[in-house]
Parts: sequence; C-alpha cells; structure tokens
Amino acid sequence: MMVIGFAAIGWFTARMRAARLRPTEGAVRAHSLPGYHGWYVALWLAIPALAFLTVWSVVMPGMVEQSVLASPAAQTLPASDIERTAILGEARALADGSLRAAFNEEAEALAPAFKEASGFYSVIGLIATVLLAFACGAYAFLRVRPDFRARNRVERVVMWVLLIASLIAILTTIGIVASLLFETIRFFDRISPIEFIFGTHWSPRSTTFSDDPGSFGAIPLFWGTILIGAIIAMIVAIPLGLMSAVYLTQYAPARFRSVMKPVLEILAGVPTVVYGYFAALTVAPAVRDFAVNVLGVSSASSESALAAGVVMGVMIIPFVSSMADDSLAAVPGAMRDGSLAMGATNSETIKRVLIPAALPGIVGGVLLAVSRAIGETMIVVMAAGLAANLTANPFESVTTVTVQIVQLLTGDQEFDSSKTLAAFALGLVLFIVTLLLNIIALSVVKRFREAYE
Amino acid sequence: MNTAIASPTGRQPTDWAADAMQRRIRARYRAEKRFRFYGLFAILLSAGFLAFLLITMVSSGARGFTQTQIALPVNFAASDIFLEPGQLDGEDRAQLLARADFQNLARQSAIATYGEDGPRLLSNGAWVKLRNAVSDDPTLLTREEVIWMPASTEVDFAARGDMGPRQSEERAAMIERYGELDEAGQVRRALSWTFLTMADSSDPTLAGIWGALKGSLLTMIVTLLLAFPIGVLAAVYLEEYAPQNRWTDMIEVSINNLAAVPSIIFGLLGLAVFINTFYLPRSAAVVGGLTLALMTMPVIVIAGRNAIKSVPPSIRDAALGVGASPVQVLTHHVLPLSLPGILTGTIIGMSRALGETAPLLLIGMRAFVATPPDGFTDPATVLPVQIFLWSDELDPGFVERTSAAIIVLLLFLLAMNGLAIWLRNKYEQRW
Repeated sequence: MMVIGFAAIGWFTARMRAARLRPTEGAVRAHSLPGYHGWYVALWLAIPALAFLTVWSVVMPGMVEQSVLASPAAQTLPASDIERTAILGEARALADGSLRAAFNEEAEALAPAFKEASGFYSVIGLIATVLLAFACGAYAFLRVRPDFRARNRVERVVMWVLLIASLIAILTTIGIVASLLFETIRFFDRISPIEFIFGTHWSPRSTTFSDDPGSFGAIPLFWGTILIGAIIAMIVAIPLGLMSAVYLTQYAPARFRSVMKPVLEILAGVPTVVYGYFAALTVAPAVRDFAVNVLGVSSASSESALAAGVVMGVMIIPFVSSMADDSLAAVPGAMRDGSLAMGATNSETIKRVLIPAALPGIVGGVLLAVSRAIGETMIVVMAAGLAANLTANPFESVTTVTVQIVQLLTGDQEFDSSKTLAAFALGLVLFIVTLLLNIIALSVVKRFREAYE
Repeated sequence: MNTAIASPTGRQPTDWAADAMQRRIRARYRAEKRFRFYGLFAILLSAGFLAFLLITMVSSGARGFTQTQIALPVNFAASDIFLEPGQLDGEDRAQLLARADFQNLARQSAIATYGEDGPRLLSNGAWVKLRNAVSDDPTLLTREEVIWMPASTEVDFAARGDMGPRQSEERAAMIERYGELDEAGQVRRALSWTFLTMADSSDPTLAGIWGALKGSLLTMIVTLLLAFPIGVLAAVYLEEYAPQNRWTDMIEVSINNLAAVPSIIFGLLGLAVFINTFYLPRSAAVVGGLTLALMTMPVIVIAGRNAIKSVPPSIRDAALGVGASPVQVLTHHVLPLSLPGILTGTIIGMSRALGETAPLLLIGMRAFVATPPDGFTDPATVLPVQIFLWSDELDPGFVERTSAAIIVLLLFLLAMNGLAIWLRNKYEQRW
C-alpha cells in the first residue's frame, strides 16, 4: 500500500520536474512526454520495493522462528518434530490474533516471543523497503533530463508485463499437468496402473483403511462415461442438432431463424446445475415410471443412465447445431445450385450434396460435443447415481469419471489416501481423453476448410 | 437426326406424364415435405424442452419466494421474558436478546392460541422472528401484539392441498385443519423476506439465498479482477507484439486448450495448487475466484484477440505515422476501439463462471455456511453450489426453495447476457 503511495508521489514529482525542464531548453527538445518520466520514476520506486517485500514475506517466517527457538521460553519444547510444529503453529496463531485461546500451555508461553520477533523483523523489513524505494527512486529521478529516453524504457516494461500475462496460460497448463501427474504417480506407486486401467471392479468406499488394489478398477467408470456422454447423449444431440441446423440454414424464413437461433443458444447458457436438478427431479422419475410401467423393466433405477444422458444430449444440441450450421454455410453455393439445377429436390440436395460436403466439419463438431459431454459433471452427479455398474441397460444406474472425482474429493479425508489420489488419476485420464478429442476434432475441421479455399 | 440427340443409346425419351413417373415425383415431393417437417420438429422439440424446463422451474419456484404465515397473538407484557424496553438501549442489547427465552415464548403463545399441537404449526426457527421484532421495536415488550410467524413445512404443504409423497391420515387432518385456519383468517401467504435476506439453514422455512448471493458476488469480484487484466494483456501481446516463434505458438496452443479443458479439471488444479501447496483457506471466495479466473481467462483472451484483430491496420499505421510509439498506438487507439468487443467477451466468460459448480465443489465450497461471508477469506458458498446442496436435502420444503434459487440464478445470467447483447449492438462497428 505504502509502496504504491510512494510510487504515486514519485510519478507526480518527476512529472512536474520534467514539465518544468521542457520550455527552458532551447536547442534540445525533450525526448519523452512528462508523463513518461513520471512513470519511469514510479516504476523504479515500486518494482524493486515490491520484489523485496515479496522475498521478505517468504523469508521472514523462517527468521522469526529461528529467533523464537533461540529465546529462553523455547528451551522447554518437546523434541518430537510433530508436537513441536503443532505448538509453534499455535503460538504463531496466538501472536497474530487469529486464535484466542491455546490448547498447549507451551504455546501460551511462546506467543509473546513470537509477537516480539515478528514485530522486530517487520520493522526491519519496513525500513529496508523504504530505503530501497528511495534509493531506486532517487536514481531514476536524477535521470530525468530532456534527452533521456524515458518512453522507451517504460515501454520495455510494458512489453514485459504483456509477455508475463500471456505466460500465465502456459503456467496454468503446466500446473494442471504437473499436479495431475504428480498425484497420479503417487497413486500408481500403490496401485498398479494395469489394475487401474483394466480392472473391472470399482469400490473405493470399501477401502477406508486398507489399499485393496482390487477395488480400483476403472473400466466401469469409463464405460459409464461412454454410455452416457458418447452414446445416449449423442443419440439425442446429433439428430436434433443436425436437423435444426439444416432447417435453420436451408428452409427457415429469416425471421424464424433470427428468433430460434438465440433460443437454441440459451440451451447452452443454462447452468449445468439447473439441468442436473431438472434431470433428477423431473426427467429421472418419468424415465423410471416409463420403464417400469410401459416396458416392464423391473431393474429400472430412479438414477438412470438414460435420464442423465437425455438431458445432457439436450444441453449439447446447440454445440452440434452451431458447428453444423457453420460447415453447411461454408459449402460453396455453386455445389448446391448445381444439384438443384439437375432437378434434385431440396432435401435430396441436402442429403446427397451438402451434408457429405460438410461432413468433416460436422464430425469435428460432434467430436467437440463428445469431449464436452464426457467432461460434464453436474448433470451426472445429480442424475446418474454412484453405483459402478458394467451394464448396457440404459435404465440402470451407472457412474462416470467426473461423478467419482467429485465423490472421492468431497468429504473429510486426509490428502494422502489412495482414494484422493485416485481422483487425480481419473482427472488425468479425463484430461488426456478430452485433449485428444479436441485435437482430432480441430484437425478434422482444418483439413475440411482447406478443401474449398 | 433429332431422335439421335434425344436418345443416343436408342432409349425411349422419358414419359413424364406416365403414371409410374408421376408416382415417383409425388413420392419425392412427399420425402421433401417429410424431411422439412423433421427439421422443424427438431427445432420445436429443442425449444419445447427449454420451455418445459423453464415452466417447471418457474411454476415450482414461484412459491419459494412466498411463505405461508400464521397469525400468533403474543402477550409480551405477561410473558416470563424479563426485559424492559429501556434495557435494550444499552450496549449489552445483543446479549440480553440472546439470553431471553423467545423459543419458549413462541411455544407458549402457540399452545395458548392453537391448543396442544400449536407449536407444530410453527416453523422450528419461528421464534427468531419474535426476537427480531422485539429488537426492531422494544416497545412491543409492554403490550400484546399479533405477529405473523412462518408456518411449518407441513402447514405449507397443506396450504397447497398437497398430500405429499407419503399419503397419510395425518396429512389429511392437516389439510382440514388448514381449511379451518384459513376461514378464521389466521393464515396468509406473504412474500418471504427470509428467503432473500437469510443464509443457508437446515430448516427450509428459514433458508435464504443472501449468503450464497454474497459469496457469488465476492467470488466474481476476485475472478474479474484477475481474469480481465491478465486476459486483456495476453490478448494484446499475442495480437499486437508476439513474434512468430515456438514460444508464442506454445502460448496460443495452451490458451486454446485451456478453453476446452473440462471445468472439473480446474477444480483439481485449485485443490492441488491453491489449497494443498499454498495453504490458502478452504471454502473461501478467494480460492474460488482464483480457480474460476484461470478458467475464464482463455475465454477473455480469445474474445479480446478477435476484437483487437477487427481494428483495421490503417488506424495503427496512421498513429505510427504521426510519431506515436507502439504502446501509445495501443492505449490511445486500439484498446478504446476494441473495448466493446472485449467487454462482451468478458461478460460472457463471467456468466459462464457464475453458473459453474463442479470446480467449486472440489475446493470445498460445499460447506454448510449459515452466516453470509464478510470477506474474501471467510467460508462461503455460491449460488449454483447452494442449489446443488438444497437439491440433496430430504425435506420436501427445499424443493421450492431450490427452484426459487434457480430462478434467481437464471435472472442474473439473463441480465448479464442481455448486457452483453446490448453492448454488442450499441458499439458494433463496421469498418
């Protein structure tokens, strides 16, 4: 806060000085506008000081702890590491006021020492920051001269900021891959990858205390994910999405199209938790009643794969239809006109000419939709159930990868159990599969585009 | 000669008037009509599904905003609450109120008015309303007053004439009882302020969305403050300055990939990095905001790049020509011109973040939070997660609360998308 205040002061003074410089010079015109001189000084004031503060806040707790341990009150601390850390942590909390009363008596005794030490080091840090800011600020301030190229220096900093901002995307990607890989490797230390990928029995709930490798077979989860996301959802989404796109691009009057296209897009904008609630509350009971009363399926569950899949399919319709829309529009008009001129009807033209020509784009869209469907969480969490069944019966309850991730990671368990690590392994599989689907989809689309350009 | 052209292979010319041919033509036209009908049917089915969803939510959610209330005459003066109006001016007001046994007062008054089973008519936490009433107007303590209390879930069901899932004599008796109360003018249906002003509760008649709404707001602030500047700066770099090399290719690829990663993966990232590595507080708005910011950033970058790309190069060249530096071109010309586009993309990204549930479940924002969060590090929950939590509740009273919360969420999303469309229409420029 203070550093920013300093920087603002530096900005004003340097700007004023630069502004005063300007008219007095006869021969040399100032290279940069006064504002740039201001920014130059402000940056010099703020960046080293902030950097120092960051380093200091990382280093300081260690130094505080060292000095507390050296104090007389710390001589009575138990030797065991775990107890020691617990007491020290409590004393620290007492000292900064986030804890009112301590559980350990030793912590009470240590708290004043903590307070003193951290006060001491904060003052040192403060003084050092102020000195650093002034030193750097003075250095920059003295360089405010008409011929000084402040603008170029400031712009170089701006470039660095821009570069750093875009590097955050890479950092996030690395963070995802690293955190998933790291935990997955720890998981595979305990449970063999072959058992995980090819095992057919999934019941991590039963392994509260032991790490029974036999209960981490993920095949039922993969099957459930495919059944819901890639089979049932697509049976709903592909025909509806494709036919909607065909009708909207080929037949619909302009006004109808301008109304219905946004309406379809709303389907994609509804939060998935709303779909999930709708699936669980309205669709799932209806599906079960239908199965029991009409089809006579006695094993029908109120948490069926069908209910989750149908609702997910509806959610996916806009993705399929907008991709199909784009690729139908990209087919050259001459092909359509040629077919119509040969005497084909509209529907024949669409079925025999337009759709085959747009097929790569449509397939790409479907692949993207599948990747979205298998990564979708809330609908299946709320409507698909938890039982890991290896069944092709859509009226039975199945579970998916995303459901299990949520199940394994909510609730109170320590972070080191095989169950939590298994969630990261599932996450890694999900990440890789969706990534592959996306890459394939994009390359299919790209190849198609080249064909007509 | 003429016949040779008509049928070079010696085939007879097609007889269009023949019956077989006419039948085939009719069949083709029928197929055409059918195909066209399928298309229309597909669209109407999708739209119908949306309409069905909205109607279901609105019809069951509309009741969630109101509450069945019961008139309860309470004689404060004769009660065994030893409080005087004057006492409540002092500093220890909150303590005095907390110590007074309003729970018993509500019970006694209910028994006095409605007989032995009177307390069952009231919601479990109805006494809080008595306390708030006294707190608002201490002079109540000296007289008798009729207070409208929230009714219990059972009465609420009876008010609907709904037998509920378990049809029983008890239910039927309650419906009859409700009819009597209604005739006597002792019940009413009123707007439920508790729903809009309270936080989560285990009692559906007292549960509200204010806590979740505030949590959503705090989370969105963190998301916006992080994702918007980073997203815009990254978009500017990639579009204006980035050299074509392996590094910038990698940045581009990873941004496009991040936009397609399932949201739950971001939850795993948030759990592993922010909570287990940096020890940030669990269930806090700041962690939720960080996680959602990473998810929203690619959306903003992609929208921002498109907006910047659509600014014509002639404007840049003109500015550079009169001596502006690259950064001046950017801040004085390119950014102001592309701002509407960037904002549209940002709002769309934010509305997606607002509806997101799964990553927040993983970082612990599904905790039961009965007090609205006061800061970024307090335990908080957000609207979609609140909906998810309520949907799991067994008490049937939560069904309408859930639908009502969904209506609130949808209204927010609608408002945001409306804003985005308005911005796009108002500031859209063609060069």
